[in-house]
Amino acid sequence: MIKLIFYLFAGILIFAGTRVITVKNPVHAAMFLVLSFFSSAAIWLLLEAEFLAMTLVLVYVGAVMVLFLFVVMMLDINLTVLREGFARYFPVGALVGSLILIEMLLLVGPNYFGLDKFQVPDTASTVPNTVALGRVLYTEYLYAFEIAAVILLVAMVAAIALTMRSKRQNKYQDPARQVEVSAHDRLKVLKMPAEKAQ
Amino acid sequence: MNFTVTDLSLMLPEIFVLSMACIILIVDAYLPERLRDLTYQLSQGTLVGAAILTLGIQPESSTLLMSDLFISDAMSVVLKSFVYLIVFAVLLYSRAYLHNHKLFCGEYFVLVLMATLGMMVMISAHHLLTLYLGLELLSLSLYALVAIQRDSSQASEAAMKYFVLGALASGILLYGMSILYGLTGTLELSEIAKAIATGQIEPQLLSFALVFIIAGLAFKLGAVPFHMWLPDVYQGAPTAITLFIGSAPKLAAFAMVMRILSEALPDLHHDWQNMLIILAVLSIALGNIVAIAQTNIKRMLAYSTISHMGFLMLGLLVAKPDGYSAAMFYTIVYALMSMGGFAMLLLLSRAGFDAENLDDLKGLNTRSPWYAFIMMVIMLSMAGIPPFLGFWAKWAVLSQVVAHGFIWLAVLAVIFSVIGAFYYLRIVRLMYFEEPSDTAPLQVNTDMHLAVSVNGLAILALGILPQPLLQVCIQSIS
Amino acid sequence: MESIALIIVLAPLAGAILAGLFSVSRKVAHRITITGVGLSFILSLVVFKQVVLDGLLPFADGTAKEVTLYTWLSSGNSIFEIGFLIDSLTAIMMVTVTFVSWMVHIYTIGYMADDEHNWSGPGGAGKNSYQRFFSYISLFTFSMLMLVMANNFLQLFFGWEAVGLVSYLLIGFWFQRETAVYANLKAFLVNRVGDFGFLLGIAAVLMYFNSLNYADVFANANNLAGISIQVFPGVEWSLMTVICILLFIGAMGKSAQFPLHVWLPDSMEGPTPISALIHAATMVTAGIFMVARMSPLYELSTTALSFVLVIGAITALFMGFLGLVQNDIKRVVAYSTLSQLGYMTVALGASAYNAAIFHLMTHAFFKALLFLGAGSVIIAMHHEQDMRKMGGLKKYLPITYWTALIGSLALIGFPGFSGFFSKDAIIEAVHFAYEADRPGAMFAYYSVVIGVFITALYSFRMFFLTFHGQERMDEHTRSHLHEPPKVVTLPLILLAIPSVLVGVIALQALLYGNFFGDAIYIAKEHQVFTDYHGILGFVLHGLMQPPVYLAAAGVFTAYMLYMKWTDIPARIQHRFSMLHRILMDKYGFDRFNDWFFAGGARQTGNLFSSIGDKTIIDGFFVNGSAHLVNRISGILRQLQTGLLYQYAFAMIIGLLLLLGWFVHF
Repeated sequence: MIKLIFYLFAGILIFAGTRVITVKNPVHAAMFLVLSFFSSAAIWLLLEAEFLAMTLVLVYVGAVMVLFLFVVMMLDINLTVLREGFARYFPVGALVGSLILIEMLLLVGPNYFGLDKFQVPDTASTVPNTVALGRVLYTEYLYAFEIAAVILLVAMVAAIALTMRSKRQNKYQDPARQVEVSAHDRLKVLKMPAEKAQ
Repeated sequence: MNFTVTDLSLMLPEIFVLSMACIILIVDAYLPERLRDLTYQLSQGTLVGAAILTLGIQPESSTLLMSDLFISDAMSVVLKSFVYLIVFAVLLYSRAYLHNHKLFCGEYFVLVLMATLGMMVMISAHHLLTLYLGLELLSLSLYALVAIQRDSSQASEAAMKYFVLGALASGILLYGMSILYGLTGTLELSEIAKAIATGQIEPQLLSFALVFIIAGLAFKLGAVPFHMWLPDVYQGAPTAITLFIGSAPKLAAFAMVMRILSEALPDLHHDWQNMLIILAVLSIALGNIVAIAQTNIKRMLAYSTISHMGFLMLGLLVAKPDGYSAAMFYTIVYALMSMGGFAMLLLLSRAGFDAENLDDLKGLNTRSPWYAFIMMVIMLSMAGIPPFLGFWAKWAVLSQVVAHGFIWLAVLAVIFSVIGAFYYLRIVRLMYFEEPSDTAPLQVNTDMHLAVSVNGLAILALGILPQPLLQVCIQSIS
Repeated sequence: MESIALIIVLAPLAGAILAGLFSVSRKVAHRITITGVGLSFILSLVVFKQVVLDGLLPFADGTAKEVTLYTWLSSGNSIFEIGFLIDSLTAIMMVTVTFVSWMVHIYTIGYMADDEHNWSGPGGAGKNSYQRFFSYISLFTFSMLMLVMANNFLQLFFGWEAVGLVSYLLIGFWFQRETAVYANLKAFLVNRVGDFGFLLGIAAVLMYFNSLNYADVFANANNLAGISIQVFPGVEWSLMTVICILLFIGAMGKSAQFPLHVWLPDSMEGPTPISALIHAATMVTAGIFMVARMSPLYELSTTALSFVLVIGAITALFMGFLGLVQNDIKRVVAYSTLSQLGYMTVALGASAYNAAIFHLMTHAFFKALLFLGAGSVIIAMHHEQDMRKMGGLKKYLPITYWTALIGSLALIGFPGFSGFFSKDAIIEAVHFAYEADRPGAMFAYYSVVIGVFITALYSFRMFFLTFHGQERMDEHTRSHLHEPPKVVTLPLILLAIPSVLVGVIALQALLYGNFFGDAIYIAKEHQVFTDYHGILGFVLHGLMQPPVYLAAAGVFTAYMLYMKWTDIPARIQHRFSMLHRILMDKYGFDRFNDWFFAGGARQTGNLFSSIGDKTIIDGFFVNGSAHLVNRISGILRQLQTGLLYQYAFAMIIGLLLLLGWFVHF
């Protein structure tokens, strides 16, 4: 039964992954990416890694992909330009891609990484894996965790630095100044000598 | 699972730099424009403080901290000290340029400090995880720095290329690491070495992982054929940022290569030796040859970097401590020279004008004999002409290569560096034997003037007395 | 003591840097350099007292005579260091060098006072020539001290080349004069010939002894004495002979021995203080010093010693002849220097190293005195150097006259004067070698004995022509004749004192006593000066030997020829015009060198240039390969398309190739 579910989700995952890079519409591609996230979350659940599965769905599907969709829809990418030259490069690309695929399959396959080579992890632990993960994360891997946090901070700083314009460049309104304005500031009456008719 | 907070004093430099970066981030947000120099001074102070901490609290022997994720040893102390020194000089050199190009903002300093922190993490990593995180911290800061000049489409393009290719390389590296983890069951460097030493792991799987790791490392070093990003990024980024990218991160890259290859994978050296030979030969050849055809100095220096990285790999591929120290010497020397070279470009730039074409150096001697002299020292040193420092660096590496029987490699390297000497000497010729096309007087601050002079003279002085620096490198590796 | 030694060396260097690189005023320049060299001299005296008089060892709290200050470079097994070796030989050289140098510094103030006149035409070079000159001579003092204080061959070579460089700079000091430029180039090139041998000698030492340190080399010299090497296939040479002769070739260049002597007369193009300091008292004696320093090596090769002996004898005699026909007052002194250097070399060849050093020291004083005296005359004569336009200067320049007389008497070896003792010692040593039947000793003996007569003849010819007889200068010059200022005469007087006395003082210690200790090694069977009978005994012994009478005869002949029958020289010249031409032509060496070496080298050079360089190397290799590289560069450049996906693709392909190459599936 578990095997059946595994192959089902694995199949969906591969199908969705392939579609992500083959469909023409970027919105559809994003949706396929969401599907592949869901499938991998399901596989993780099979491995009893509930926490990771939940995080994947919450963070990637719930936040990242939604944001991604917004961006894709806002940019309105011209597909025909992107497709240019595809046919020309396809044979070479396909050749190289398949070569790498074959090489990888030869090694990272059941020959060396089969179930007989590696034991199934012992999951009959007393603590739930959220707790276990938390413990390791805040003790043994505290240093790495901190650095990861710093990376996020840098990402934030970088994002702001690259997108925020200083006040002078932004167009904005200051209601207080709008209210306080007087006719005197806006209107100037110029006195000009009247032209005399000749 | 016992977790005890050990003595963290050896980590004080990292903690200090991180805290100061956060403080600067906050302080800068509230600073009025006219006090912006305070950010600069704080950043420089941070580097000085970190240097004091690093040199003040040195480990007696290699010490592991934080559940073995962090290592403090002689090499880390030396490399970190040079990182501080170089970043300090980079900030100093860049100051006027940043002002002129309206880039003098708090984010720049925070990002530089964060990148410095990333380098420190990499240098002190004893775990693939920390190594990778440090790398990402550094890279992310660099991506942002390249793009910091938002109005320049060239810079944005460069940043985009850097980012995408960098992500690809990180992916490759990470994939190699994950295979390695799958094979050895650990991420800790010394444990990986132990697991491999048992000889129970399939060798072809190890080579498989190794290829991916080497490819990732080669990208960071900028070795052919993983070098494509380098010329575009060097040219596209504002010169002050190129100066930064071209100097200190090379030390971190060297540390990363050292940590992975010599600490985690020493038993695979037959494999990586051969891979490095290919990468080194390609880099030296392509770097030197293509540099000749460049008219943009930044681009030319980028190709020169590629060839220098080839030399650096020559030292590494010996796979003996002597070779490592020669490579380390080379890296430090390279960083010093590259810093000086880009600093000279900063010197020639002014508001609204970037000196980056070869023609901009024309007749520098008539405009300023002193700077022409410094630039000449740097160029001759890069070309590896005695008695300048660059000669000793090349000599150290080549003598190791010869000593370990790769004479053909040394001959090849020498031939290509002779070819490479052409484009360095061309700059000297332009400076001394051509009429200046631009006669605007140079505006140089006193601190910049001093720093550039010290930089150039150091290359000269260390070239005459190379022994101390070489000794430091030898001692820190053994 | 390390610090004292360092100050001795560095004080002149500091003076040279300050005076030369920072545009100081003239007064400051000479004050700085004179203070620096004076300091060196005083400290040298301190060293001399401690090392020689008190018999202490200078370094490491009195336990070592040498110290290594700094490791310059270590390459494989070879270690190149900078260090000092101070023993009595070094000490005596230090005192001599710094003293003469100090005197010359002071003298220069007067000599160069209006040097601007010597710079014709536009250009700023003449503006600070005064400072430049002081900087150079201080730099020279530094270099010479480095040379004599070295404890290894490398530093010796550094000093050797550094003094050569300064000498080059100073000979060509007035570089607007074509003759000066020619002379300095000649000096440099001829010295290169010698240096080539010297460098080969050092290389041989490094190769066989595996060390450049004197102490190591001398300690192992005996072990290697029996080795013979094949330089050319089939010819076996003793290693020691090869090394010694190669080193001596260096000395031949620096100490201007036949046939590498040709540069020294021309070097008189430099200002006179330089002639006194470098080309009489110190630099040219570097070769003598070097051979004496290497005595443990030379004593192992009688072949090399005989070579030295013969070369020295040729120089001593034949260069003296040339002094007879010169009319330029400085050139006479120059040829006399050559001849005296020949004497020293003869002493070296006869294993009387102590006599050579003794003569080196006395010669330094009286020859510096003679040069400075000649300079004083030249100043008074408004830079006129032709003796035929002088005469009767005695009454105008009394101090110069008397000091020049003292110098000349010392030079010809008048009994009691310093030259008498040192020269007699040399002749005694050669006589000993003659009796011991060493090869070439007979020739050497007769050469030096005849040389005494010649020396007296040309010295007093110059003396009489300059100071006595008719006043042959023009009216304008005569009206301005007066004794030069004190800065000029004071050094003359100060140099005159040792010129007289130093022989008496040093005789016993240097020749008979244990003065040199183990600084100089003389094999037992080569020792000449064994039993000492007191100063008086030495003088009496000397009076019974032919040289004294030959010297007297020389003076007498000079008196007769140039004071009494003044028409005779012209008649002799007419009668023996062939001989005179040969002498005037300096045996034709210059012409031969110009024709054969310079001309030949130019011809060969042109040949190589047109065929080898321009056609093969430039045309084919250099430009050909440059074009090739350029073309490849242009092609490879196209790879960098600027397209992101191609970059990524290149990375993937690189990865693929690495995978295919290294992973065995």
